[in-house]
Amino acid sequence: MTVQDILAAENELTHLLGAQQAIVLSTRIRLARNLEGYPFPGWAKAAQRQEIAQKCWGALEKLPRFKKGHFLKMNELSDMDRAVLVERHLVSKELASGKSGAAVISRDQTCSVMINEEDHLRIQVVKAGWHLRGTWNIAEQLDDALSESLKIAFSEQLGYLTACPTNVGTGLRASAMVHLPGLCLSRHMEKVTRALSQDGLAVRGWLGEGTEAAGNIFQISNQQTLGLSEEVILKRLGGWIKVLVEQEWNARRKLAQEEGARFVDRLARSLGILRHAHLLTSAESMNMLSHLRMACDMGCLPEANRHLIDRLMIEGQPAHIQVRQGKECESEKRDSIRANTVREALATFPEVVSPTI
Amino acid sequence: MSKSLQCQLCDAVATVHLTQIVQGKVHKVHYCEACASKGGATDAAVFQLAEAVTTVATQPTIICPSCRFNDLEFRRTGRLGCPDCWPVFLGALQDLLAKVQHRLQHVGRAPVGVVAIGQLRHRLHEAKTEMEIAIAQEDYESAARLRDEIAQLLTQIPES
Repeated sequence: MTVQDILAAENELTHLLGAQQAIVLSTRIRLARNLEGYPFPGWAKAAQRQEIAQKCWGALEKLPRFKKGHFLKMNELSDMDRAVLVERHLVSKELASGKSGAAVISRDQTCSVMINEEDHLRIQVVKAGWHLRGTWNIAEQLDDALSESLKIAFSEQLGYLTACPTNVGTGLRASAMVHLPGLCLSRHMEKVTRALSQDGLAVRGWLGEGTEAAGNIFQISNQQTLGLSEEVILKRLGGWIKVLVEQEWNARRKLAQEEGARFVDRLARSLGILRHAHLLTSAESMNMLSHLRMACDMGCLPEANRHLIDRLMIEGQPAHIQVRQGKECESEKRDSIRANTVREALATFPEVVSPTI
Repeated sequence: MSKSLQCQLCDAVATVHLTQIVQGKVHKVHYCEACASKGGATDAAVFQLAEAVTTVATQPTIICPSCRFNDLEFRRTGRLGCPDCWPVFLGALQDLLAKVQHRLQHVGRAPVGVVAIGQLRHRLHEAKTEMEIAIAQEDYESAARLRDEIAQLLTQIPES
């Protein structure tokens, strides 16, 4: 199994399923867990990290969910392969930048477990669209199954013990990836970020911690992990996502109403540029694809085309392009390949019409 | 295109941008990738934690007996050394945990085979409130069910 296989396989986020929802692109659950009796990866010696990896790997191999899955050791992958896994959100930048980590990814790519990242185990479950309960249920099952074969570090007062004090307790980070062009265009994002932060939720860019938002895509997640039950954390996130989705629709409707022809013109111009450009930077294509995604949501383009836009967003990222080319490419070469791919994909796209929603 | 921001710690272009609101105050930080990872973390809360533990001492004052991790290391990385560090560092971390976390008592799940006392206590508290409401609403059937649940919970929770 190679990273090429992962890219080639039809999966949750790039094929169809993701297209079913307008605003929430995906839902993710992450649980941080550590083994009792071992230093955390950042402080462990190489031999200890290897021992930890063997134990975790062994426990994961027995789980039916990872049958025929991808078992990847970071030191056996090229820089490019690791970068592509980061762009897919299957592993973190931190895991990819170290050489001693490993990742186990289920065949359908919904479940992945990082070994020896900041914590011994980082269990991740991701589903396209808004499926907080379903995602949580899978994470809970995985967590229980792993704790049956591994002795997990836990304290009655502090819950699951983690390397970083910001994860201790439940070790839970629940998040949603949301597409908010309406709120961005109407300049409400700062207000939204402020409100969410005051209620203990973090707003981050599309590649998670420390990244700027590209394509008007934001990751919303809980910050607090100790003193709140999983149920409360999930309910709070769920409540806010519902509000955000409503606010986004309101912002879009208001924009469409107030701007009239200018609104449709903006979307149509984006389609025009994407259809004819010969060089497209990652940021430019993300922002214009964001307009097309909004056009699909609002009836300006057929809804059935939304999944294609999602795929272009994911596959237009720098490492994805280079892995597909089978070699490293300079930035201008990448911009040219990206533009060609987008041009071909959108060649038969219908014209943008006035919104129906 | 907006102008590239400069890293707050060196002259490189900042690629790590964090915005956090802590107690009503907006904090924006910009680091280059090297400085961010040198800080040992990419989360503003961690930077704050690491900064808050800052003492002028150059000799460690807290050392974990299990893994020899010390407070100077924590200051550098914002992370602990092993699960056993937690009880050793808890006193020093208490104020900081109070800032970034909701409450200093876990109320969630526990590994299979471990009774989550915190969760049981939480449920006990909830069940007592629910029982009071049920009695006030003269819903005696629910009240009786809750009374039994409370009795059952009390047998599972050790007296503190």
